[in-house]
Amino acid sequence: MKNPRRVLYNIALWAVAIFFFSPIAWIALASFKTKNGILATPPQLIFAPTLDNYADFFTRPNVGQYFLNSILLSVAAVLLAILVSFLASYCFSRFQPKATGFLMFLLLSIRMVPAAASVVPVFLMYTAFGWKDNWLGIMLFYAMFSIPFSVWILKGFIDGVSQRYDETALVNGGSRLHVLFKVVLPQVRPGLIAAFIFNFIFVWNEFLINFIIGGKTTTTIPTALIIGVSNNQGMDWTFVATLTTIYILPPIIAIYFFQKYLLVGMTFGTVRGEV
Amino acid sequence: MQHVKSPELATTVTPQPWWTRLGHALDRRERALPTMLLVPVLLFFIIWNVIPTLWMLGLSFYKWTLTSGRPEQFIGFENFQDIITDNSVWLSFSKTLIWVFGTVSIEVILGMLLGLLFWGSAKLPGRRLALTLLFAPMMITPVAASIFFRLMYDPTFGVISYIIAQLTGQAAPNLIGDRATAFAAVLAVDVWMWTPFMILITLAALGSVPKAELEAAEIDKLSWFKKIRYVILPNGKFILMLGILLRTIDSFKTMDLIFSLTRGGPGNTTELIAITLYRKSFEAFNLGWASSLAVILLLTAIAFTSIYLFVLNRKQAEEA
Repeated sequence: MKNPRRVLYNIALWAVAIFFFSPIAWIALASFKTKNGILATPPQLIFAPTLDNYADFFTRPNVGQYFLNSILLSVAAVLLAILVSFLASYCFSRFQPKATGFLMFLLLSIRMVPAAASVVPVFLMYTAFGWKDNWLGIMLFYAMFSIPFSVWILKGFIDGVSQRYDETALVNGGSRLHVLFKVVLPQVRPGLIAAFIFNFIFVWNEFLINFIIGGKTTTTIPTALIIGVSNNQGMDWTFVATLTTIYILPPIIAIYFFQKYLLVGMTFGTVRGEV
Repeated sequence: MQHVKSPELATTVTPQPWWTRLGHALDRRERALPTMLLVPVLLFFIIWNVIPTLWMLGLSFYKWTLTSGRPEQFIGFENFQDIITDNSVWLSFSKTLIWVFGTVSIEVILGMLLGLLFWGSAKLPGRRLALTLLFAPMMITPVAASIFFRLMYDPTFGVISYIIAQLTGQAAPNLIGDRATAFAAVLAVDVWMWTPFMILITLAALGSVPKAELEAAEIDKLSWFKKIRYVILPNGKFILMLGILLRTIDSFKTMDLIFSLTRGGPGNTTELIAITLYRKSFEAFNLGWASSLAVILLLTAIAFTSIYLFVLNRKQAEEA
């Protein structure tokens, strides 16, 4: 029954997967070690796990606030971006205004600009307008940041919905809004999910913008990590390991449950298919 | 048209007073509708892109340091001349080229090999979990990745340093603190993070090969090399090219990872162009000069985008 070559092949695949995961596993293990356990030489692979770090974690000031910032900023920005992008991609897909090609090109190029180059002009503007350290200012920037990707993904999905549906609904007396939200929207649900998941992860992971134009009220975890890491002479490894472990969980869980959107999500919707 | 039936969708209208009224009010302006749908995106685009970019473009012709307190002084193209003749810019630019070439070529080769390995993984027990573990590195924030590797590269308690010390029999190296190894050590982190992306792209490219052609190749008993050369590459080349281009662009953009691992140090061994720009803007606050460099990087990004779209359009033309 069991083909030994098949078994060997499966073991090799799992070994590759575990190899790539091992740095993440190492930090996750560290979060269950004592301080001396993390700093031990030689490094310990087998140790008596402790939950003290997690108990200690919840007594830290500000951490709850930073997490809340991360969650609220990501969710608000992405939802707003998806709504706006849905309208625009419907327009691009159905009416094909003359500027469609050019606008799609501009949108894509926003995402191709190095972050350091795009933060300079935003820094100039936010400083002049006094929008720095403003929750709304940062949220709207993140929404803008999420629009290009959402438009690209959603346009692809709306192109895939036959115009017949629109026509039928219109002929039957439905309004354009009805067509948009009751006819087209339900059919592009996979696109909406992919746009939500991947934009959420991008904003969740974003650091530079938050670091430069954010402040106390908008600090997210990556910024907190960088500030915490560079301020302390002796790094507080138990805390950093715990914080990092908790913070990277949502993206990893997301790709477990939404694996079929991974390809669309990582290529702006330009490559379709599943792996 | 009236008789076209869609099976699952409600194409008839249930009465919804204000909603429907608003909808029909919009319909009466049918010709304005496309514009109205675009207005929100255009607003975002103008406020957060056009205005700041023009602002930056303007500032790139001025000499202005935020912390000096002196007003902007118009100097024409002097900033650009300064950048072109600045050795440190050329140094970080050439480092960036080496970085892009190094990361992309290693990731592409490794990713394609591993992608081929994973090709037959459809029946792998626990496949979903295995792929989640495999693709996890590219989904986490580079800041977190830098934390992992600070822990593992640490000369006193880092596991990688420990393993290297055991293998070579010498003292544990300080991989990211030593000028000789810092660049390679950071590059290794990028390879770890992004090889999974090329695996994903390779799997997509392999998935796009029609089954019939593969079966024909099987019947003709083509060798591995010929199978790749004549069956897989012609079908998968566009997806591979898109993947490689995306990786090249992202590699050129690398910032967060290096910023949080080494801040461009030790010395300037890992200072890529994005880090140079960061240092000039937010450490020296030399914003006129920084704007000029940002304009140059912006033009580079537009060039990259054009190439990407060119390939994408060729792919779509071929599929049509």
